[in-house]
Parts: sequence; C-alpha cells; structure tokens
Amino acid sequence: MSLQLIPPDINLDFVGKRFFFVALSTIVNLVAIFLLLHIGLNYGVDFVGGSVVQIKFDKPTSGEEIRQALGALELGEVAVQDFGAKSQNQFLVRFEKVRNIGSLGMRIEGALNENYGSSNRAHVLRVETVGAKVGHDLRVDGFLAVAVATLFMGVYIAWQFARVSWSFGAGAVIALIHDVLVVSGALVLSRLEFDLTTLAALLTVIGYSVHDTIIVSDRIREDATKRRREPLESIMNRAINETLSRTILTSGTALTVLASLLVLGGPILRPAAFTLFIGIITGTYSSIYIAAPVVLFWERGHRIKGAAARAA
Amino acid sequence: MVEIATGRGVYRLAAAAPLEGAESSVVLTLAMERADGIERVVTRFRIACELLDQPAEVDAIIERMKGWLSRQFETTREAALKAIRSERRLHEITFDLDSRGPF
Repeated sequence: MSLQLIPPDINLDFVGKRFFFVALSTIVNLVAIFLLLHIGLNYGVDFVGGSVVQIKFDKPTSGEEIRQALGALELGEVAVQDFGAKSQNQFLVRFEKVRNIGSLGMRIEGALNENYGSSNRAHVLRVETVGAKVGHDLRVDGFLAVAVATLFMGVYIAWQFARVSWSFGAGAVIALIHDVLVVSGALVLSRLEFDLTTLAALLTVIGYSVHDTIIVSDRIREDATKRRREPLESIMNRAINETLSRTILTSGTALTVLASLLVLGGPILRPAAFTLFIGIITGTYSSIYIAAPVVLFWERGHRIKGAAARAA
Repeated sequence: MVEIATGRGVYRLAAAAPLEGAESSVVLTLAMERADGIERVVTRFRIACELLDQPAEVDAIIERMKGWLSRQFETTREAALKAIRSERRLHEITFDLDSRGPF
C-alpha cells in the first residue's frame, strides 16, 4: 500500500477565497514596504562598508566592556555581539568608519589586552573590511540583480504562455514582487544581517517561486486546453488541486532541510537559511493565491482567450 | 616582518601567540594580515619536531614557511576563514614526516 499524503480526488476551493488572500497579501506587502522605508534592512559590512572583527577571549566578558576597551581607538559607532555559544567567548565587533585602517587587528588586540591585562587575553581571529564606496556599489548592484531577475522571469513566462494569455507573465511578476517584499519585511523584523549571502538566498527564492508558479500555470494551460467550456475559475481550482501533492512534498522537504540549517547552521548561515525558509513558504503561497488570481482578474473570470479562440 | 605577495595583495606574516610546544610537535598560531590592514586571518600550524631545527624559533619557522604559504595562500586563507566564520575555531594544518609541507 503506497503512502498517500493528498487524496487524488481532493477538491479544495482555493480560487474562491482569492479576495480574502489578495487583501491579506496587499496588507502584508504594505506593512513590508513601510518597514523597509522606516526601519530598513540590517545591512552587513558587504553593503554599508566598514569592518567586522571576530575576537576570542580566554575568559567570559561582556559587550559593554569590549566597547569601553576599544574607546581609545576612536572607531566611531561600535557594535558588539556575542558570536556562537557563550562558552566560546567569541564576539563580533563591527564599526562603519575607520580613520586609519593600517594594522587594525593588531591595534584592536593591543587595546583589548592593555585593558584586560594578562588575566583575559584577547585574540583577533579575523578582520574583514569593505570600503564605503564598494559597499554602496554592491547595494546598488544587489538591488538591480533582484529587479532584473524579477522582470526577466516575468517576461520569459509571459513569452512562454503568450499563446494562452499574457496574464501569466503579469501574475508571475506580481507574485515575485510579493515574495521579495514579504521576505524583505521578515528580514527587517528579524534584524538578521543582510549581506551578499542573504542576497544570493533572495535570488534563489525568486528562482524557486517562479518555478512553483510555472508548475501551477502549466497545469492551468493544460487543463484549459482540455476543458474548453469550463469556467477559468474551475479550471484553476482543478489545476491547483492536481499539483497540490507535488507542491506540498517539494516545499515540505525543502523546508525540513532549511529548518535544520536554521537551527543548527550557526550564526553565519542563519540569515540565508531564514531568507530561504520564509521565501519557500511565501513562494508556494503566492503561486496559488497571487499568481493564479492575477490571471483570473485579468481574464475577468472568463475562459482563457487562447483556449476560447481555439474552441471556436 | 615577513611579507608574501599574493593574488590579493601583500600579506604580513606574524605569530599571533607564543609558540606552543609539545613532546612531538610545536604549534604555531600565525596571523596573515594584509599590508593595508583591511584583512587579518589567523590559522594554526602543528609541526612535528623532527622537521624543525632545535630549539624551534618562531621567526625561523615563519621564514621557512614563506614560500609554501605564497603558493598555498588561497587554499589556506579560505580554509582558515571557513573554520573561523562557521565553526568558530582556528583551522589547523599539520606538517609531519608524511606531509612535510615547507619542511
């Protein structure tokens, strides 16, 4: 006897609830835009420029003590955070503007050891610095990468489905914009660092979401050709129900892996794992509740033009 | 100060901690810092005593490692950064009679 997660004759009314979910998504997107504009992403060193220094102490200490010990170096605004398990006594120190970068690691180590003395030695394990100009350029390039990826995927889908309806391209683009906004909003709320790895994860979310949208759209196209006299709303519901098992299995397995990465992957991988985790949930959701309703609104609840024309 | 030229610019090599001695090997904690100070990566080398002149001296060991590190810089840097960032520990490379490295 085979394991059956979703009954083959399942018939949930997804499209019937479209007004509620589109309204909900619109509110979530507006909140995300508000958060992005008023609070903003917690950009990492890659995007804002500055330095990140990883320091290991022999014994426990606090962020405040480290900040005070580094005061003499005039590093400007210094952010100190625990890094990893408490027992490891490791900290990440960040600062945006450094007047004199030369021998930064040694100067920091010297200042800390002078302050703490031989009872608690500090060891600078890593120093990484990105210039403000490079950071700004990377931020602009990152934004362009997301915008261009979204646009071109929409154009590609519109072209692929042009014989049926252009609305599939519009649906895909709106779903992708929705996903990017939801993930960005979640990143703002979580205060996780947005660095180049997180950007790569966001681009991966776009790829995943469009893939999921294509699966649903392709089944709608197929069913629309087979059932030419059936209303589009019913065809869409059928297509979504038919692909539901695949959608849940694919997203479920990916989410299982990402959940482990999120919990066990450590602080460096956490922002990317979080981005992918939220992105896969919202990508799956948007394929059903955003991309499909956009097509439906576009076609005003009638049969898809291409199918209707062929039926004539 | 020992310097090596790499694809990423000139890096200075210096001991980040006193040489740790054991019966059969010594451990050198080496800081590789870019000359302009924008990057510093620390890694550990465990070197079998048979490969070293006795008594082992930090400066002499670093000088002997200079050429090897120039050639293996990218691999060493990547491995060191990966261990520090993801595992929050120092990467350790072992040189012994089977794997002599620069010695």
